Amino acid sequence: MIRSRKAKEAIKTALAMTIAYGIALQMDWDKPVWAGFAVAFVSLATVGQSFNKAALRMFGTLVAVAVALTILGLFAQERWLFMLFLAAWVGFCTYMMGGKKYQYFWNVCGFVSIIICMGAGPDSVNAFNIAMLRTQETGLGILVYSIVSLFLWPSSSSSSFYTAAGKLVSTQHQLYQAYLGQMNNKDSGGETQTLRTQMVQEQTQFSQLLDAAEMDTYEVWEMRQQWRQHQHLSADFTETMEKWHENFTELQVLDIQSLLPNLTTFGAELNERFTQIERMLAGQSPEHRPATIDLTQDDAGARSLSHFHRAALAVTRTRLLHFEALTRTLFDTIRNIKNFDRADGVPKTTRQPRAGFVLDPDRLTGSVRIMITLWLAYLALIYVADLPGGSGFVSMAGPFGMILASSPQLPVSVLFLPITTGVLFGAVLYIFVMPQLSSFIGLGLLLFSVTFAICYLFAAPKQKLSKLFGLAMFISIASITNEQTYSFLSVATTALMFALLFLLLAITANLPFSARPELNFLRLLGRYFRSCEYLMFTMHQDPKHKKTYFEGWEKNFHTHELSTLPTKLGGWARFIDSKAFPGASPQHIQAVLTSLQALSYRMQELIAESGSAQAPYLVQELQSDIRTWRVKVEETFQYLSEKPDAGKKDTLRTRLAGIIDHLEKRIEETLDKAAELQLSDRDNENFYRLLGAYRGVSEALVEYAGSSGTIDWTFWREERF
Amino acid sequence: MNQIPHEFAIGGVFMPPLLVVSLLGTIAAVVTSHLLNRYRLSRYFWYPPLVSVALMIIYSVLIGTFIIRV
Repeated sequence: MIRSRKAKEAIKTALAMTIAYGIALQMDWDKPVWAGFAVAFVSLATVGQSFNKAALRMFGTLVAVAVALTILGLFAQERWLFMLFLAAWVGFCTYMMGGKKYQYFWNVCGFVSIIICMGAGPDSVNAFNIAMLRTQETGLGILVYSIVSLFLWPSSSSSSFYTAAGKLVSTQHQLYQAYLGQMNNKDSGGETQTLRTQMVQEQTQFSQLLDAAEMDTYEVWEMRQQWRQHQHLSADFTETMEKWHENFTELQVLDIQSLLPNLTTFGAELNERFTQIERMLAGQSPEHRPATIDLTQDDAGARSLSHFHRAALAVTRTRLLHFEALTRTLFDTIRNIKNFDRADGVPKTTRQPRAGFVLDPDRLTGSVRIMITLWLAYLALIYVADLPGGSGFVSMAGPFGMILASSPQLPVSVLFLPITTGVLFGAVLYIFVMPQLSSFIGLGLLLFSVTFAICYLFAAPKQKLSKLFGLAMFISIASITNEQTYSFLSVATTALMFALLFLLLAITANLPFSARPELNFLRLLGRYFRSCEYLMFTMHQDPKHKKTYFEGWEKNFHTHELSTLPTKLGGWARFIDSKAFPGASPQHIQAVLTSLQALSYRMQELIAESGSAQAPYLVQELQSDIRTWRVKVEETFQYLSEKPDAGKKDTLRTRLAGIIDHLEKRIEETLDKAAELQLSDRDNENFYRLLGAYRGVSEALVEYAGSSGTIDWTFWREERF
Repeated sequence: MNQIPHEFAIGGVFMPPLLVVSLLGTIAAVVTSHLLNRYRLSRYFWYPPLVSVALMIIYSVLIGTFIIRV
């Protein structure tokens, strides 16, 4: 009995590949390679994941067929208009591929349109037949793989999904405990960094497995709304924990235990809730229900603090109370999913308000890049006589160009090794082995053994690209049909076509936008600070000022930039060759990224707090002081947007600390002057939260200056090959 | 040196001289780029990707003129 999971998966793919080819050849369909491609690309670890990808591939193919036939129908005799619309459509698909949902669907929509259009371009009479052939062969590949994976060692996503859900809750629990200890001055910084990385990975894994488990496990499908709610709550918990953690520098000088006297009981209650959630996820009924608990504050102690420390305390208390609400809802959601005491009903899902449409400049750059790639390939097809591969050159430029355009960090050289090895391996089999075969038994055995070998040798998730290209190159070069011919020229032409394709991809990767990761990092950093500057500037505006549509869109755009750029910077940072730049070790770059992420959280907090209602008395009295602070920070952002390394930690600290100290004195005076009835508790709390946000931005800015000061940016700006 | 363009035969496979020349030109350009990076000389160029293309063409023309007749 085969025990190895790797071997089982490889056998499944190999068997599906052989059967799909067998049926396509038996039916005498042209291009059975398309069925082979479908099997190669939809084969994933579990039935659900494969079904999910298969559905996206099938729907993508159907949409692509409709679009391709429309373009062919409208512009069959107009070659420029034909390419203009095809390139625009592929550009749109590439833009959509950069989104959060249905990336594979948009990928298939784009490249299948190119394949059908270029396949039918020189032979438009058969356009409909080609489109139908592509659809039926993709359908065949998907159907065969689905049936094989359902009957042969079916592996449902449910067990991996439940394990992932349990692991995620457990990691969040551990991190919550570690952070609580850190807040109480028991340092565990090293451990939390590992836990944070682990939590981000588990969150991504949980989301992927939820998609898959919805497809292959009925009980997950039945409770999908509750699971989605659990996913949102869990993401909210993670984000709030990170924001909470950013406040620790200010909290560590406070005696938090005496200021929040029942913090230990509160912390223990939340711990208990996590333990019960973990129990329920493991299938055991809960032993305790969430108890009602409030986080009391020592008002006398709080009054003795400086105003900014009081603000930090107010913000922390709000966050801890938010944890209380979140853990309660998480408990109820899991209890409902696991059917323990369902009578209480489903907790209500709170929907996040949707931000308006925002055009992402990086995704747009990707669209421009694929359109340039397609146009260059098309012009080469028209103007270069006997271009290797002919229209196939344009067809191949599409899928490869789309992959590279949607992940611009990926160097073209990453594809070089898997494709070259795939071409060589395919060529050896095609030239030396295939001519010896005389029936489908021999061919089937060859298909089975080659597919098995590739899937088995490249089974690790990191080797996914090698596995896919290995299979794809073997299938393309073997070009199996019922009337099989063997020609060395076709192999040589394919090899030359790929060499030219790499040249084309290398050109579009560097022109018009540079592909150097460090330059892109600096470009994005400049954009990040410009967005910060804009958002800080809009805080100056009179609240009565009515925003135009464009102003609203602009604000949405910069808010989107603020929240997405740290992640994008992280993507580029992974590809920076730290050996080439003195003082820029991965740890230094990571420190810059962490400080930027902290600044983003602080800015988001400030934007949210500046929108909350403040007591008119305080606003009136402190307006000019707060304005001075804002102008100074805005100037710093402007300066950093031009030179991200310009800020010196000490200069910035002195400058911002001076203003903050002055502000604190003015607050003291203002509050002393204020009559008892002029300010309610709520006014005080709102005001402290706003002050906390101001201080947070100042601290984060100083922190950024500190981390960026360790890197010698001069080297980054120098031109390099 | 034979001045008449002739094809390269490797294991019975005939290759045009232009292919061999462009391959050698590319290798020479890659080596030069690495050396320029290594000794921090690349900072004197305005846009290195264009310089790479230019080097590739210059090397190919030189090899095609003086070493292998295209």
